[in-house]
Amino acid sequence: MSRRTAFSAQTLAVLGALAAEPSAWRHGYDLARQTGLKSGTLYPILVRLADREIVGACWEEGQPAGRPRRHLYRLTTDGLATAMAALAAAPAPATRTARPGRAAAPRRLAGEGL
Amino acid sequence: MDQLTRMLAELLRKMARLLPPERRQWAEAVGAEAGQVPAGWPRLRWLAGGLWLAMGEAKMMRKVVYWLGAGAVAAAAAWVVWLSWRTSPSEDAQTVTDRVRVLVGVAALVVLPWVGRRRGWFGPVGGSLTARLVRVAGCAAVCGLGLVVVRMDSHLGPGPHGPGPFSLLREIVALAALGVALAALAVVKARRADTEVSKLWGLAAMAGAVMFVAVPLQTLAIIYAAGILAATSRRSPVVTASLAVGTLAGLAAGLATLLAVYELNTPTDRYVDLMFLLVVTTTFLLAAVAGAAAAWLLSGTGDPQELRMARDTQGMLAGTVAGAVCGLVLTNFIVVAVFMLVGGPLLGVAGGAAGGIAAADHPLRSLPVRSWAAGLFVRF
Repeated sequence: MSRRTAFSAQTLAVLGALAAEPSAWRHGYDLARQTGLKSGTLYPILVRLADREIVGACWEEGQPAGRPRRHLYRLTTDGLATAMAALAAAPAPATRTARPGRAAAPRRLAGEGL
Repeated sequence: MDQLTRMLAELLRKMARLLPPERRQWAEAVGAEAGQVPAGWPRLRWLAGGLWLAMGEAKMMRKVVYWLGAGAVAAAAAWVVWLSWRTSPSEDAQTVTDRVRVLVGVAALVVLPWVGRRRGWFGPVGGSLTARLVRVAGCAAVCGLGLVVVRMDSHLGPGPHGPGPFSLLREIVALAALGVALAALAVVKARRADTEVSKLWGLAAMAGAVMFVAVPLQTLAIIYAAGILAATSRRSPVVTASLAVGTLAGLAAGLATLLAVYELNTPTDRYVDLMFLLVVTTTFLLAAVAGAAAAWLLSGTGDPQELRMARDTQGMLAGTVAGAVCGLVLTNFIVVAVFMLVGGPLLGVAGGAAGGIAAADHPLRSLPVRSWAAGLFVRF
């Protein structure tokens, strides 16, 4: 029996942000600003997505001047397919229930035409 | 504010070191980004989120609560031992019997978790919150049995139903039965690894029966302590859902019958037959409900016949848990309900099996994979 995969509104927001530029490596603060999620919400979601190999993670190469190296994220090939399917199947009312930072995310997702 | 931010950043760095290597990068990632977040409250909130993440990944709250619970159980066990020494007059012939019973129960609570440190039947504790809660609460209830022993003797008095004076012979017979059984199990497992598990269980059951006849309460305390540890260990055959529904059903059965017994209780014991019937019926029915729920909740992808058998098994196990929990609850509050320590699990097995069989053929049910994250219920 196959398990139904249901993502929360917050997870969908993260997937939407990553799927908008699937080839680009994004860092946590960038994703937090785009999705409106706090670090305590965003990172556990990234951890779970990475555990399921939907998201790939790596450290920035080289040592940039004036700041520490960043941890970067992007969708894997399978992850992109999963994200697109999940975003396409996401019911509109569920995405509208997200809170402020959260409320912005679904609109942004719709705007991205995913 | 700056000082607080620096403190949180330092705390996050230290907490990251507590995480397993494969998880450490996530806490470090939050720290690495903190410099990009505007100073002040936003950066403070960012770092606090990182601490929350690190605590979650280290399963710290779970560990802290679990060990606080284990400490409380140890304190309760020490209190029961102290109470058995303090409340029983030393000239009473039954005092030594009481003390030995209490000491055996407490020893089981100390020795079995120590044995369970290694991967085996008794431990370590399962990863779920349910397993930890049931383990701590169950061990506390076994401590409560020590109080029951002390109360029971004061309730029954020195008459024919009392425990009687201490018998060294009985204790030796029980200890010998335990030793022989353990040695036999070790020999059989070492020399004949292909022996059927049912035969090993049969051997253990025979030794248990001998022990039960010789020293019933000590045996029950050991069996309950071992059962609680085995049901909540990582290798337990009882899945989390079955453990949860069994425990809830057992609590409901125990508390419902307790209320009914208190309502029906009269000085003349007029309704004692009705109370007995009520206890038995409620335990059986709620064990059946637990069995049905456990079977219904079990999903799978394999062979339908195997799935049905697995559901029957989980139903029976959930029913047994319900019966045992009901027995523990009743005995902790009503001394004369001590028979339910044996009757509860037996009724539970029967009820759980009936419920499991009834629900084994329901349509397969799919569940979303769920995870707690940042206090939000995040579903995958």
